[in-house]
Amino acid sequence: MTAPTDRDLIVRARRGAAGGDAFGELVTRYQTGVFNVCYRMLHEHDAAADLAQETFMRAFDRLHTFDLEREFGPWIRRVAANLCLNYLESLKATAELDEERDTDESVRPEKQVEVKERSAQIHDALSSLPPHYRVVVELRHYQELSYDEIAAELKIPLSDVKSHLFRARKLLAEKLHAPD
Amino acid sequence: MHLTDEQLNEYLDNETAERAQIEEHLTACDECAARFSALKALFAEIESLPELELTQSIAARITTTPSLPARLPPSLTLTVTLQAVGALIALFFAAPIIRQYFASVLPAVSIPSFYDVLIEIQIYFAMWMRSFQSFQLPTIPTEILSLPKEIPPAILSVILLGILIIWLIGNWWLLRKRPNPLA
Repeated sequence: MTAPTDRDLIVRARRGAAGGDAFGELVTRYQTGVFNVCYRMLHEHDAAADLAQETFMRAFDRLHTFDLEREFGPWIRRVAANLCLNYLESLKATAELDEERDTDESVRPEKQVEVKERSAQIHDALSSLPPHYRVVVELRHYQELSYDEIAAELKIPLSDVKSHLFRARKLLAEKLHAPD
Repeated sequence: MHLTDEQLNEYLDNETAERAQIEEHLTACDECAARFSALKALFAEIESLPELELTQSIAARITTTPSLPARLPPSLTLTVTLQAVGALIALFFAAPIIRQYFASVLPAVSIPSFYDVLIEIQIYFAMWMRSFQSFQLPTIPTEILSLPKEIPPAILSVILLGILIIWLIGNWWLLRKRPNPLA
């Protein structure tokens, strides 16, 4: 017996009482991808898990309006990116404090020694970006959206997409290739 | 003249129509070729980030969520039904008392003409205005509070106590704190 398609699961999930399991199956299929979107955006494991869960809850609430012609996976990952952006912007004051803290830690030699693996360095570099830069990097590099799609998703002008992306890359290059 | 950062970024993002000119320039200009290689390496580095494995399934936290549409549990349905029956019983026993009260307070019901209603309103308005001058709380006739003769007070008390208990249990059931599966 073949596994049900995402479309089948969405239709079943919309039916209500019997749909709980169908939606659970959708969550199982995409939870790792959505969690990784959140982790790249937030750089904090527990917060990423909470936001991933929140993403699926929002998706469930909006399931009745979901266009069945669209693919669920890319859609839910874009919802996650947007949700994380909103979360980061709502915590702007806290984020500024974190930035100061990170800056302080970056000059500590023991911290430099701790961050040895390249993936950890990339995560650190990503987390040092402002939220609106981080989200365009997420949507372009990890979700492979075009400039126009990013502009539509974030409801910002195309020129902003380009400037955010190019500046973000410049900052990442500076962070990743800075001499130790 | 060298390529701009914007041109290099757009080329690597496949978002430019000037691909041929850019490629031609890159073959001829070492400086731009070096900048291009560095940017390409950065792209590869960003995209090399491995996916993390989840340590705890999110699906397990969501599938038991109470917000998913579900039928009411039978015990809750029974409680609500019992509350409705209790309310009807209370209304049945209270009806003679209510009727007696309104019979003593209100005159016999008759349908007046529109003109009579207007006159009545004027009269009552004038009385209402005058009543401010000598306002005092009305006294309730003691016979209204007496129970109907055919129902012994003990039985009525037991019935009302039973209704009260059902009511309290029902509200406790509805308002009790449920464990949060998302916590």
